[in-house]
Amino acid sequence: MTPLLKDRRLIVAIIVFLVFLCIPAVVHDTFALRMCTEAFMWIGLAVTLDVMAGYTGYLNFGHQAFFGIGAYTTALLMMKAHWPFPLAVAAGGVVASVAALVIGIPTLRLRGSYFAIAVWALARAIQQFALIATFTGGPDGTRLTAFLDPQFFFYVMLGIVGASFFCLWFLLERAPFGLKLKAIREDQESAKALGLNPTRLKIQAFIISAIPTALIGGVFAYWVTFIDPGSTLSDLISDQAIVMVVFGGMGTLIGPVIGAILIFSFKTLFWAYLSQYEVLYIIILGAVIAGSVVFMPDGVLGKFIRKAVRRSPKPESLPPPATAGKEA
Amino acid sequence: MAEPFLKVQGVSKIFGGLAAVNDVSFEMEAGQILGLIGPNGAGKTTLFNVISGYYTPSHGKVFFKGRDVSGKPPYALAALGIGRTFQVVKPFGGLSVLENIIIASFLKHPRRHHAEEAAWGVLEFTGLADRAHIPAASLTLAGRKRLEIGKALALEPSFLLLDEVVAGLNPTETDRTIEVILKLKSQGMTLLVVEHIMRVIMGISDRLLVLNFGQMIAEGSPAEVAANPSVIQAYLGEDHE
Repeated sequence: MTPLLKDRRLIVAIIVFLVFLCIPAVVHDTFALRMCTEAFMWIGLAVTLDVMAGYTGYLNFGHQAFFGIGAYTTALLMMKAHWPFPLAVAAGGVVASVAALVIGIPTLRLRGSYFAIAVWALARAIQQFALIATFTGGPDGTRLTAFLDPQFFFYVMLGIVGASFFCLWFLLERAPFGLKLKAIREDQESAKALGLNPTRLKIQAFIISAIPTALIGGVFAYWVTFIDPGSTLSDLISDQAIVMVVFGGMGTLIGPVIGAILIFSFKTLFWAYLSQYEVLYIIILGAVIAGSVVFMPDGVLGKFIRKAVRRSPKPESLPPPATAGKEA
Repeated sequence: MAEPFLKVQGVSKIFGGLAAVNDVSFEMEAGQILGLIGPNGAGKTTLFNVISGYYTPSHGKVFFKGRDVSGKPPYALAALGIGRTFQVVKPFGGLSVLENIIIASFLKHPRRHHAEEAAWGVLEFTGLADRAHIPAASLTLAGRKRLEIGKALALEPSFLLLDEVVAGLNPTETDRTIEVILKLKSQGMTLLVVEHIMRVIMGISDRLLVLNFGQMIAEGSPAEVAANPSVIQAYLGEDHE
């Protein structure tokens, strides 16, 4: 393995991060900065979702629960207990990690599809709870003291998403942890024979996926200054993140980033120029997803980018995988 | 007297009223190859799964190096030094051959580069080094069977359970696998081998254990077992003259 500081992927990531960091110096338009901030948010949500979906093989249809828990924890601590913003956001991460542990222990013993149903239902339950509870403000939501500084939120969102991305990259692509998760995804029974405790590893992955999601939710709450169960706990959040992950390329970290940027740009442009055809948006998005699952199961990344990279150094000629290629 | 290496004591495994393994007891000494044979459905793989922790025995106990390990999960047994292969090979298809082995090497080498070093050793030993970077899914059956052995060996176990690692291989590949098994034995490994092919199992085993309908019907040296009337009956049926 290449040494950490010589890893070309890290160097590219740092350059991209620095370029993003320079955007506010050039772009002063508030709308554009807001869009960039939201794009970072979706990158964060897609990447954290992929920890479970791509690396571990567990599609989390309740990902929005962690986002909402982060948003509500931050909002309530800031408004009711007058906590400073950074502490309140961090507290959201702590609450989400506990929630991930509690939700993960029973659900991650299940097989993939049962897990998907269970977390979807639990996340809906959490949304319902936020609707009927009084301390959350119920359906009226919670309002935060407005702090309107687009640059501040741009940097905070970029910082949190960037830091999460780096931590996840290190854990999943360099440390043994990522390979162990992939082993569980590929064959859990075989992984057990090799000394891996699948339930424990999956719970760890679930917590690792939950914490940054909650931090992003906390920043989101302070940024938009108003949260309600319909916005921060909506299953549309998970659905969109899943679409980004699948479209970009599951089981990698860069795939979800590409997917998030493409889908979010499409969404933004669509709303900006074609908003009278509102109905079409979901239809087109659905068609794109159905198409990408059928025609490029490895996403944009697998279909185009990887292929281009591989074209140059051709590996030694191998017999074509008979039936095996498809199942991988 | 020292504890036996492996002691299986009155083990039964009952599925819905049917005993797949019924009151089986035996012991193994360190450094031995014990062959486990029997007709299809005799309970060989079930017994295997009980010993390797995939099934909890319905009755009875399994002792490994004097320690009661019955019902312990497979990953705990792997940590104690028990490695196993699967009859239906289970490669991590989407990962490279090298990565497949590295995952097993993590047990004894928690750091990535140490694990990678150890994995290369296993690849050399099993003759897979030239295919280290291809996806495991594109290996041939012989390659996958060898990868199964490699993954188990990367755990650096003291006890290896091989479930039909020769079945389906051509004679050349079979001989290479036998070579690997005998080499392991000469290095002091203890092996429990399930195999259908008599030529193989008779040739390599120090002792044989015969199962039929979940029950142990014979135990002894290959020559003794081959001459045992109940074994002949189990394989060929009654009234074979």
